[in-house]
Amino acid sequence: MKHYAAQLLPSLLALAGALAVSALIIAVSGHSPAAAFGALVTGAFGSLDSASEVAVKTCPLLLTGLAIAIAFQAGVWNIGAEGQLLMGALTMTVLGTHRVALPAWLDLGSDLVVAAVAGALWAGIAGQLKRRRNVNEVISTIMLNFIALGLISYLVQGPLMEAGGRYPQSDAIVPALWMPRLVPPHRVHAGLVLALLIAAAVQVLLYRTVAGYELRAAGLNPDAARLAGIDVGRRLLFALMLSGALAGLAGAIEVSAVTHRLYEHFSPGWGFTAIAVGLLGRLSPAGVVLAAFFFGALDAGSNAMQRVAGVSSVLVAIIQATVIFFLVALERGHWLPGRRLREEE
Amino acid sequence: MVSQPVTSPLLLSVRGVVKRFGALPALAGVDLDFPAAEIHAVFGENGAGKSTLMHVLAGVLRPDAGRIALEGRPVRLGSPRAARRAGVGMVYQHFTLVDALTVAENVALSLPEQPRWLFRPAAAAHEARALAARIGLDLSPPEARVSALSVGARQRLEILKALAGAGRVLILDEPTAVLTPQEVQPLFAMLRHLRAQGRLVIFITHKLREVKEVADRVTLMRRGRVVATFAVSDVTESALAAQMVGDAVPVRHRGPRGGSSGAVVLQLSGVSVGGPGGTSGLAEVSCRVRAGEIFGVAGVDGNGQRELFEVLVGLRRPSAGSVTVRGQPLSVFTPRAALAAGIAHIPPDRQREGLVLPMTVAENFLLNRGILDRFSRRGLLRRDAARRFAAERVQQYALRFADLDAPVRSLSGGNQQRVVVARELAQQPDVLVTVSPTRGLDVAAAAAVSDALADVARHGCAVLLISTDLDEVLDLSHRVSVLSRGRLSDALEPPVDAAQLGLLMAGATLALRPSV
Repeated sequence: MKHYAAQLLPSLLALAGALAVSALIIAVSGHSPAAAFGALVTGAFGSLDSASEVAVKTCPLLLTGLAIAIAFQAGVWNIGAEGQLLMGALTMTVLGTHRVALPAWLDLGSDLVVAAVAGALWAGIAGQLKRRRNVNEVISTIMLNFIALGLISYLVQGPLMEAGGRYPQSDAIVPALWMPRLVPPHRVHAGLVLALLIAAAVQVLLYRTVAGYELRAAGLNPDAARLAGIDVGRRLLFALMLSGALAGLAGAIEVSAVTHRLYEHFSPGWGFTAIAVGLLGRLSPAGVVLAAFFFGALDAGSNAMQRVAGVSSVLVAIIQATVIFFLVALERGHWLPGRRLREEE
Repeated sequence: MVSQPVTSPLLLSVRGVVKRFGALPALAGVDLDFPAAEIHAVFGENGAGKSTLMHVLAGVLRPDAGRIALEGRPVRLGSPRAARRAGVGMVYQHFTLVDALTVAENVALSLPEQPRWLFRPAAAAHEARALAARIGLDLSPPEARVSALSVGARQRLEILKALAGAGRVLILDEPTAVLTPQEVQPLFAMLRHLRAQGRLVIFITHKLREVKEVADRVTLMRRGRVVATFAVSDVTESALAAQMVGDAVPVRHRGPRGGSSGAVVLQLSGVSVGGPGGTSGLAEVSCRVRAGEIFGVAGVDGNGQRELFEVLVGLRRPSAGSVTVRGQPLSVFTPRAALAAGIAHIPPDRQREGLVLPMTVAENFLLNRGILDRFSRRGLLRRDAARRFAAERVQQYALRFADLDAPVRSLSGGNQQRVVVARELAQQPDVLVTVSPTRGLDVAAAAAVSDALADVARHGCAVLLISTDLDEVLDLSHRVSVLSRGRLSDALEPPVDAAQLGLLMAGATLALRPSV
């Protein structure tokens, strides 16, 4: 128990620090921090509908945060969750605009699986480049983000543009493939349940399976893992592709449950915020659930803060970024995988 | 507390220095005085606080309490830079070289006179050569990249660098660990030379022989305290050793006698490997290791030791020749295949290659393909069984800790090595390949590891012991050969003349033919 408390402390300190910095910024800009934070909390949890919106915002952050956790634990710096998410969303859109002769739930399920595979394959490009050619995955995944963004932009203005042809967006997917809502008419949807189940599965994978053990050992000390007979290259590829699959699934669920269609700037940067979520959650599935929920609440509450207290919703992005700065500064990245092998005697 | 009266003026004095890591006091109030013009050995088990004290003196660690004075003036050594400015330079056990830069560039970085704007490689090379000549140590080619140098060459460069910046106090952390016997004498001469110039030389060592040979006084540390300081001429090696461990010294059995008559388990025939950058690699190495035998491979680091290890553990495919285990030739060279063939290993650097430091002790016991497979079912870890296994091994190897859930990095170096040994011997391997298994261990841990090796050999394992420490090879091996410039000599049976072996290790191949 003491162990877990000690693990939690840096995250809580970072949060406190970030909130303090934000309060300062609000005060300097001539507003009341108390009023702004009050509006933020009310905006997130003031009503059933706002709580539902928190859940909606949490879902993509949770799945992409898990994607980051898996990759980073394996020592693979997947900065490409954004692109993988977009490829998943694209796949869902393409498949979802046509109805297949299957029961709706099976059709939706298979579409989600194919979208996850698309995300995995997109990440797999970087994975194979790393494994075969030793290409740094940070660079290749970032570049794949640009390619995915450009591809979506082209598609929604061209081949996939809606039949009406007015806006750069795709047709809506068929209503049978919309993710069921949990508490209609509120938007909270079954995707959140799926994401939580996946979080539990990731916990089992990382800490109770051979693959998870190998993945973590490869991330923390690839030399020792290799000498122990672990195929490090294969594990890294596996981790990166699984990471891409979860990111792709996040995009597909978003299309199915929330937007129902694809358009430019479809993602407000979930794949990047996910890095913050993963780090704040200290790369553990349970931590990622909490961190995604927290960031989801910030997102959902930010509009109310702007409306009620007159503080720009951009402040939330500052809070999110400041959290990471504090975390990294407090911890000096000690628990992150990578080349930190030299120890004092 | 026996303290020798100090006659010459005090250069460095340490008063009441305390350093804690967490709740643990690594230094529990240390008082020491060093005169100028002295060679002072600091001696003691691992974890005695020697390195911590040196790191405090070199400005790497800040003490929690206590004072340090240079020539009577109190100094604050807040950083290595501040310490160097005050006149204290240190050669660390771990290298502080920039691998991507050349030898000359690394030397240039440490020179007190830095060029203001332009870096001129030719001038830097010239200065590096001049420095090396002045100090009397061999210099690697100034334009060679450090990343291409052997460990031995890198350490030589480290010593050179530290001497380049050395002021009045030079601290060395086990400086002779990777030098050839032929290089040790010039180093000692160098230290004496520095002493004659009025400097203070402090060095950490585990070797009694070095204390007797070069030091004027020796300070013995145990559990963060100074036990005593002796004039070296007043104390015997056995007395020092007894003081060090605090109880009886394990008897050092000088070499088990007689070759084994067991079956040949491991056979190398004409194994060749190209070395990096035209260095030796391996040249037609052949040998046979029998069941029940410890076969020692002596030699100086950088003469093919690493390559031999990598071939045997499956990290490297030989360009020619074959490796056979119990008559079965290895066809695939991967760590997995080597482990499956029954070749276990204790790597030279346990922290880099033998353990995953942030993982727990229990998790580190799974870091071996065979054990991992043993404790898994359909891809799931059998965690309870794995834990029981770890607990048993811990008990069997008398590891002095109980917490299987603590990160393995929290253990002392000796206990970390015991974890590696306990794990690798658990699978009852046919062959054990081990590189310097007792390097850097305290006497008790070294004895435990040595006993484990002798024991596993007695039970029919063929042990190949590769080591740069002649004492280690001679103490443990039934037969000894020397790997020099990639060639393995004929096997010699004890008693072997250490001086002659030392010559062979330095490359004097005159007496020995390449093995067939």
